[in-house]
Amino acid sequence: MQAKAAVNQKTGNTLNNAFASNFAKSMFLSVTALAVLSFIGTRMFTHVDLNLYGYMVGTIVFLGGFFYRFIAWGERPPTKIILKKGLKLLFRKSTPKTSVEHLATYNFIWNRGIYRWTQHVLIGWGCILSCFVTFPLVFGWMYFTMDDNGYYNIIALGMQVMTVPADGIIANLSYNALNITAVMVIVGVCMALYRRLKNMQARAEQKFLYDFLPLYMLLLVSITGLALTFMNIFLHGAGQPAMSLIHQWSVIITLIYLPFGKLAHIPFRPMSVLARNYREHYAEQDMKECKVCGDQFVSSEQSQDVVDVLGVNDIQFKTKEGHHLAEMCLPCRRKYRIAQFSGFPTHEVKVKEANQNAKG
Amino acid sequence: MKKRLYLELENCIGCRSCLAACTQCGGHEERNRNYVYDVNPLVNRQTMPLMCLHCENPACARSCPAQAIQIHETGAVLSALVEKCIGCQNCTIACPYGIPKFDTEQNLMYKCDLCIDRTKDGIPPMCASVCPSNTLQWLTDEEIENKKKQFNLDNGKWVTSMPYLEGETNVKVNLPGILQGITKLY
Repeated sequence: MQAKAAVNQKTGNTLNNAFASNFAKSMFLSVTALAVLSFIGTRMFTHVDLNLYGYMVGTIVFLGGFFYRFIAWGERPPTKIILKKGLKLLFRKSTPKTSVEHLATYNFIWNRGIYRWTQHVLIGWGCILSCFVTFPLVFGWMYFTMDDNGYYNIIALGMQVMTVPADGIIANLSYNALNITAVMVIVGVCMALYRRLKNMQARAEQKFLYDFLPLYMLLLVSITGLALTFMNIFLHGAGQPAMSLIHQWSVIITLIYLPFGKLAHIPFRPMSVLARNYREHYAEQDMKECKVCGDQFVSSEQSQDVVDVLGVNDIQFKTKEGHHLAEMCLPCRRKYRIAQFSGFPTHEVKVKEANQNAKG
Repeated sequence: MKKRLYLELENCIGCRSCLAACTQCGGHEERNRNYVYDVNPLVNRQTMPLMCLHCENPACARSCPAQAIQIHETGAVLSALVEKCIGCQNCTIACPYGIPKFDTEQNLMYKCDLCIDRTKDGIPPMCASVCPSNTLQWLTDEEIENKKKQFNLDNGKWVTSMPYLEGETNVKVNLPGILQGITKLY
């Protein structure tokens, strides 16, 4: 119950007292930060692209849902522990490597299959790069100006960072950035849809609303976005105003849905880096020895944390030998259960567990 | 009609058909998720299967920081959602029976999901559908009740959750008649 009390304990921080709730604080700070950054980025609101104001409103609504979902989630006892301890360990030497492997190159998905890795890289990086382009444009953190000499100025946060020829490579990449990412997302989503339709392993567990809907939404966003380019170039802008509204609508709906469905793993996934740091750090500190066989199977810290978290949920796994079940290694814990069924102390027989993979 | 997985532990002959069948279930990616143990390996050949018992208050899900372990409306405690599991392995530490398996390469936990694509439609899970010795059965509550009457043991040692398990479970376990000196014919 100690942990329960700790959860309810408010910190003495006076800044927190200014807000009615964590939600209010996060929302206030984010909207303020957005406003300040926009103020600076747009040179005191002199370069706002009002075409994009819909996205601005959409982003604010998205933030509401995002904080609602993630503050509730962060209050769960096990989540709170990993977040708190993981953030303290953020500056470990291994953090950059772990972050790149988990968040940029997705090595663990490579191990689940090269096809799945390819589709994930295409969708993931397509979306991330799109966000890097879209949000700065929406809030005016990045815009372009053109002098009379055929050169483009790229302005980031009000500072002129680059001057490039208007028909050069960098300029063309900038104009087409969202077209390129749209193609990436479309290819990735098509691969994912193909897999979900054809792969029997995937088909067994998928649900339309959870697994397909996000894919269709990404597809809609990308296709309507590409259609805008198509209409501008080949149709001389015919239908462009209508399509631009459809595109805007699709993006805003996807943004608002994001924290509540499968796409919620995007903002939430960095937690795996915290979890890895947490495991590595405390494994170096002190390992827990199995109460039966003496094998070191988990860090003492994590073992205790899990026992505490289960305690908060009113789950106590006390054995009659006096320790907690979480203090036994997995094979011993399984044998211990067999022992409870049979009455014979299977876990005390020093024999390795028999064949468990049914491959002969 | 809601059916449950029901285990008569002493029937097990150690053939490991349940392990092999488990690998063939859709979504299991050809890896098995259950166990078969020798009870007293140096003395006799008695074996017992051990699978996820699908607790009504699952410790694995309670300890998951990512909410990756979801509980299906049928009561089945599902395997980790692949996009949510962050690889902390809390669930393996929390599970009172040591059931969840962890793949360090894929940074992913996987556990028995009671073959949810089958059982959600009332089809028995793979293990129960192949078990040759009726150790694993797929029965309605009424049938389980009848079994209880059939053996007519009023000593509280028959079908159990408590005290041999840590809490109420959706899978029902029959304690071995062997211990009670009863020879069973089936």
